[in-house]
Amino acid sequence: MLLAALADPTRESIVRLLADGERSVGEIAAQLPVSRPAVSKHLRLLQDSGLVSHRAEGTRNVYALEPATLQALRDEVDSLWRHALARYALVATNTTPGRTKRSRG
Amino acid sequence: MIETQATTLEPVRHRIEVPLTPAEAFELFTAGIARWWPFRGHSCSGERAVDVEFEPQVGGAVVEVTRDGERHPWGTVTQWEPPNRLAMTWHPAQPVECATQLEVRFAASAAGCELHLEHGGWSARGDQAAEVLEGYRKGWAGVLGRFAAAAVENGR
Repeated sequence: MLLAALADPTRESIVRLLADGERSVGEIAAQLPVSRPAVSKHLRLLQDSGLVSHRAEGTRNVYALEPATLQALRDEVDSLWRHALARYALVATNTTPGRTKRSRG
Repeated sequence: MIETQATTLEPVRHRIEVPLTPAEAFELFTAGIARWWPFRGHSCSGERAVDVEFEPQVGGAVVEVTRDGERHPWGTVTQWEPPNRLAMTWHPAQPVECATQLEVRFAASAAGCELHLEHGGWSARGDQAAEVLEGYRKGWAGVLGRFAAAAVENGR
């Protein structure tokens, strides 16, 4: 899975932050308990891996997720709920009136 | 020419039907979550997690609890309307700044209860396009304004 490949909780946080929209290095550092140099280092790695891109906007360097990364994040959430709701439905279906706190009878 | 991208992603949506009343379905989803949540691989504590506690009110905490009593926040309740609606911010094992948005609705159906789940809260560069265009527009207006002022100044 994408997030296993990130192999670092800070990189995971940066990717999730960028899922909300593009950010500059300073904006990312302001929202995470990580220094600017550390954020820059992580962003370089993420860029080398093709997960994020950056562009210059005036004096700011702005980072954004590559569309494929955003899609992978979404796919992961989709897959989580598919799995979790299947288990929910199984428990719901196998719940007999006597086993619920409130019975219909 | 400035390119814009329509790359906002739609929320994840799922719908299931269960043979429970909406009230039972709501309770199973919240108070009964330990009976079905796949903690291994989908929690802060893996196999040590034993429950997720919901504080049943808007602003209430949603917290994973381990067998040793450790507590790990998952999010905050934004809507608590049993039996029909639950919504919360979602950020297990992440800072709150990285939260996405979850909404679950429970509606009575012929077979019991229809559950609609929507998990969203991500956008992409496309959402920034309008702001970038606005920024360019304001930028040029500023430049031209200064040019005009300078022209007037030089003309004196």
